[in-house]
Amino acid sequence: MRRRLRLGLTARLLAILVVLGLAVFPIYWMLVTATTPNAKLFSSKLSFFPDLGEFSVFGETFSDKGVMLWLWNSAIIALGTAALALVLAIPLGYALSRFRFRGKGLAGVALLMTQMLPEALLVVPLFGIFRNLNLLDSRLGLIMVNAAFVLPVVCLLIKNGIDGTPRELDEAARVDGCGPWRTLLRINLPLIAPTIAAAAVIAFFHGWNEFVFAVTFIFTDDKFPASVGIANFVGEQATSVHAMMSAALMYTIPAVVFYLIVQRYVVTGMTAGSVKG
Amino acid sequence: MSVEGAVRPRARGRARRATGSRLTPYVFIAPAAVYILVLQALPLLQEIRLSFTKTTLTRPNDSTWVGLDNFIKLFSSEGFQQTLGVTAVYVVACVVGAVGVGLAVALLLDGSYRGRGIARALVTVPWAAPGVAVALIVTWMLNGQYGIATKAMKALGLIAENGVVLQDRTWALPVILLVTTWQIFPFDAVVLLSALQAVPGELKEAVKVDGGGSLWGFRAAVWPSVRATVGLLALLNAIWAIRRFDLIWITTRGGPSGRTKTLVIDLYDSAFMRGDLGSAAAVGVVGIVISLLLIGGSQLVTRAAERGGQA
Repeated sequence: MRRRLRLGLTARLLAILVVLGLAVFPIYWMLVTATTPNAKLFSSKLSFFPDLGEFSVFGETFSDKGVMLWLWNSAIIALGTAALALVLAIPLGYALSRFRFRGKGLAGVALLMTQMLPEALLVVPLFGIFRNLNLLDSRLGLIMVNAAFVLPVVCLLIKNGIDGTPRELDEAARVDGCGPWRTLLRINLPLIAPTIAAAAVIAFFHGWNEFVFAVTFIFTDDKFPASVGIANFVGEQATSVHAMMSAALMYTIPAVVFYLIVQRYVVTGMTAGSVKG
Repeated sequence: MSVEGAVRPRARGRARRATGSRLTPYVFIAPAAVYILVLQALPLLQEIRLSFTKTTLTRPNDSTWVGLDNFIKLFSSEGFQQTLGVTAVYVVACVVGAVGVGLAVALLLDGSYRGRGIARALVTVPWAAPGVAVALIVTWMLNGQYGIATKAMKALGLIAENGVVLQDRTWALPVILLVTTWQIFPFDAVVLLSALQAVPGELKEAVKVDGGGSLWGFRAAVWPSVRATVGLLALLNAIWAIRRFDLIWITTRGGPSGRTKTLVIDLYDSAFMRGDLGSAAAVGVVGIVISLLLIGGSQLVTRAAERGGQA
């Protein structure tokens, strides 16, 4: 009986290891490819491990002005997306959490709908609107469109956060003569600082990862974010494979690391609004 | 009477000062509301208007009203019927695959053991990796001659010759499906894992003693507490599958011969490769209607399930 149990445990451990291996393999393979010289990549023999002597490839990528400019553009777009989304979402989240007003239900439904609608389906009319606003081929334009589509998740997270802060504190602030804005800024926001940080990171990586609007709205090379620059690698013969994998890895790692930090909040943000339905 | 009359207005006045005026809530929501109206509602209306016109990318401000022409052309074209078919297969397979794998992995990772946090973190990696980077590494792994996945498929006898699997009529869609499942399942697994933690430990133990992991035990102990979550995940995954652009566009552009062309790819191809904004908008309207039906349908199912549960 005990032996069977141990066998079961071993099998389970093995299964867990296999699943984890499959989960990380493509990213691992990015690392292996990045650190294998081109000549070796294009031979019939596969090498399965990263070559420690070839880590200089990352140094080369760091000094590659083109790649660095892409990553820089991505960072600017992502930061802008986070800032704009927060500025819009914080008052909205507060209103949805604390006020009773006519049209509140409608606002909630509208928010859910915008969260659910696939953004790529709206790329054609948005292209027209941004052309008329003169916001094509502009990083500001991308920031604006990204903020629009990440707004629902960010707002639901903040609303949930404020829901969790005690109303008594609001009342106390009110008695002391604080208006609603000051109550929000002085009382509620400091209390939900971790949620705000998580929401900012989620918005940041929405902007960091976004592709469909970036590839459509940006035409000039030096304004490309990394998503567009790296996508252009595919099917291109001129760039060496290991150099492009090293660029892709530098683009991937920040996304993965930061997502791991805020994972818990991502799950809440994505499911919170919808569960209540 | 007179006392009340004297007190009330003052009290009301103070209350109003405290919460601001009746307009205060609207001041708080106004920026976001205007923003959503301009960047979501307006494009939605524009899309509907465009779908009834003939408009080209080269002369976008020059549109002619053509009524239902775009839709009639769409639904009578074999290409679009194929697109609808591919989209249906893609969405259903993604939902079944990702929720299925996600649930299996959640059950596997549930429980207390050393390294639990690390396991949970590692399993999230595919979901966190940017779609463009995934598309790039997948393309390389499936390189016709040097790709590790191509070699593996050949070794397993799945393909006879080295060749670009992503351009193969039989293999392109299954491969895209597999990659999408790999991208989405971690989210489902993590959400289901937290749902499983709500199942009382005693109940799980009881099932284990009774022959753990059996289908009966699963249905009796686990299923009732994850059912609602599975429903929600199915909806989210379906919407994500409809939305998925980067992976397919970068790896196959909807090819070979439209075998991986989903609605979004069809829309993008019509608009920006063929320059036909009118028919692209019509594809968009079809996609939006399908999304709304999915959302509405899932709400109905949820409500019915809740009512059934209460009765």
